[in-house]
Amino acid sequence: MIEQLLANPITLLCLVISLAVVVAGLVFAITSPRLFLLVIKNLRRNLVRTMLTCLATMVLVAMVTMIWTVIYTLDMVTTEKSKDFKLVVTERWQIPSQMPMTHADYVNPESPKFLPELKGMIGPNDFMTWSFYGGTLDPTKFTRENLLFMFVMNPKHIRSMMDELDTLDPALVKKLEDTRTGVLLGPERLAMINKKVGERIKVTSLNYKGINLELEIVGELPAGRYDQSAIMSDAYFNDELDKYARTTGQKHPLDNKRLNLIWLRVRDRDTFNRVGEIVENSPYFSDRPVKVETASSGIGAWLDAYRDLLWGVKWLLVPAILVSMALVVANAISISVRERYTEMAVLKVLGFRPNSILTLVLGESMLVGALAGFGAALLALLGINFALGGIKFPIAFFPAFFVPIWALAWGLAMGAGAAFLGSILPAQKACSVKVSEVFSKVA
Amino acid sequence: MQGQPIVRVRGVHKYFTRGEEQIDVLKNLSLEVPEGEFLGLMGPSGSGKTTLLNLIAGLDRPSEGEVWIRDQLISKMSEAALASWRTRNIGFIFQFYHLLPVLTAYENVELPLLLLPLSSAERQKQVLTALDLVGLTNRMHHRPGQLSGGQQQRVGIARAVVTDPTLIVADEPTGDLDAHSAEEILNLLCELQKSLRKTILLVTHDPRAAERAQRIVHLDKGRLVEGDTSTAIRPAPVGAVAGMQETAIKQQGS
Repeated sequence: MIEQLLANPITLLCLVISLAVVVAGLVFAITSPRLFLLVIKNLRRNLVRTMLTCLATMVLVAMVTMIWTVIYTLDMVTTEKSKDFKLVVTERWQIPSQMPMTHADYVNPESPKFLPELKGMIGPNDFMTWSFYGGTLDPTKFTRENLLFMFVMNPKHIRSMMDELDTLDPALVKKLEDTRTGVLLGPERLAMINKKVGERIKVTSLNYKGINLELEIVGELPAGRYDQSAIMSDAYFNDELDKYARTTGQKHPLDNKRLNLIWLRVRDRDTFNRVGEIVENSPYFSDRPVKVETASSGIGAWLDAYRDLLWGVKWLLVPAILVSMALVVANAISISVRERYTEMAVLKVLGFRPNSILTLVLGESMLVGALAGFGAALLALLGINFALGGIKFPIAFFPAFFVPIWALAWGLAMGAGAAFLGSILPAQKACSVKVSEVFSKVA
Repeated sequence: MQGQPIVRVRGVHKYFTRGEEQIDVLKNLSLEVPEGEFLGLMGPSGSGKTTLLNLIAGLDRPSEGEVWIRDQLISKMSEAALASWRTRNIGFIFQFYHLLPVLTAYENVELPLLLLPLSSAERQKQVLTALDLVGLTNRMHHRPGQLSGGQQQRVGIARAVVTDPTLIVADEPTGDLDAHSAEEILNLLCELQKSLRKTILLVTHDPRAAERAQRIVHLDKGRLVEGDTSTAIRPAPVGAVAGMQETAIKQQGS
């Protein structure tokens, strides 16, 4: 968690701002309870205006929270880790990568062809192959509900290599290993095809023509990242390709292209560099050259198509929303201050220093901003994660994006920050009120 | 019997500029007010009464000259220092009361005390004493909107005296009141002056209000014209004032 925080300076900054705002608010409320009460009473003075400001801030914070959830998640998966690197081996010159299965043998520690130079750098649990199989449950009617896209892999590597599946029930993995035709489905995909665990399905392939599968649903993947995913065993898939060759007398056109990715895990960057150099320069891969990159840079390459869009969202849309939020607060506080110039002057006459008046005005706006921001983020967290099942934004491999717990810090910091920026000028104006001028106008 | 001058205004000149034009509001004005005096400041509109009051109360600075309160040259103080000084030394009574509408009478009176290092028990005692002095303990939980003009002004007076200030300045305190309420307020000011020996500066247009002062000075076109002394002070409600005195003495002692 700390690593996540340090890797994301904006979240770290929001956390620091949030803590500072909460501590400052508590100190103010405890040391000057009567002045804190005055702040509350001033906010209640025009309840409609306060509520509208609050509501506008909440809507804008909720929007930014949703947008930032997507950006944050993509940032996280494309940020390099400092240890436990995952390497992705793919075909160098072609997208999508389609390699012969023999390529895997040279980097599989359990294979007799394993490159001796890699010994000690890759363990048996640090290897995994990926093939992608797409099919339909109803070849006469292609609908989104009938489609099934599956990750084909060795079940015994699921828990050790797949992100967020390290806590998957070992009994499920065992069931997938034991049931040659087994498949695990995500809860949403299961609901979409209207099937239950234990039922059988027939899948007509879309990418491997003629390789049609009869699968048994042996279990459900956990909700979240794998909501719409499906995982099947590579043993059945490979057998079916071999069977195709036996029955038709010729290899399937994709037989020698069935391996899409190889994942390897190494302990640190140094090992990553060495493994990358060995694999990329190995003569065994010369017929179909490969490239080695980190998993994050691999995903980053997938996201390249969205790069401009994401840049615009991150650096144009989000700042524009924050500026709008600051302007909403500025407008409300300016009106409030203008209405109370005489009161500010009275406070000065009573002995309030300019800084005390500045604190009172900033306190009003920041209390509204911080509470509205925190409330919006909390609602977004609960509503999106639990009621809506994530933000369904179809980008890269992500079926849905989930609001992280850090969103509470984003919300509070955004609300308080925008309130601060929006109210600093009106507050400055309030504390520089000239008493003699105000009363000469009143008289 | 009056003591040493508590207010010393020396050669004060105050002008404002409008474009290239210089508007002289006070011209080479000097004034001394002895401790415990009830001084009435009269003059036509635009004569500079309020400006003089603001200078003495530390709300404004002279363009030239000096303003001393006791032994402090307030005309040279920084704004922050003046703010602290005002809390302890000046009680200001406004024509339009200027109570904070969101606060109750109690909370309005308590407001200046929040700036002083007092415990909440001490604050409460002083607020109750001040409200008792103006006869409003029974309305202390009412907001200004729920009080009459006279009652609001009494809350304003309680707020002005709650810190036991050196000097009370009142700018047309009866200007917005009916005759009966105005009479009550003036009686109250007289009581404060007589029983607590408070120095009071009263700016007024109203000759009847000015009559209550021990000395009246007239301002005309920024210059001072001293007038006759007139005193007609009514007896104070001893219990309430005694309570106030007791608190003041204790505070000084601590």
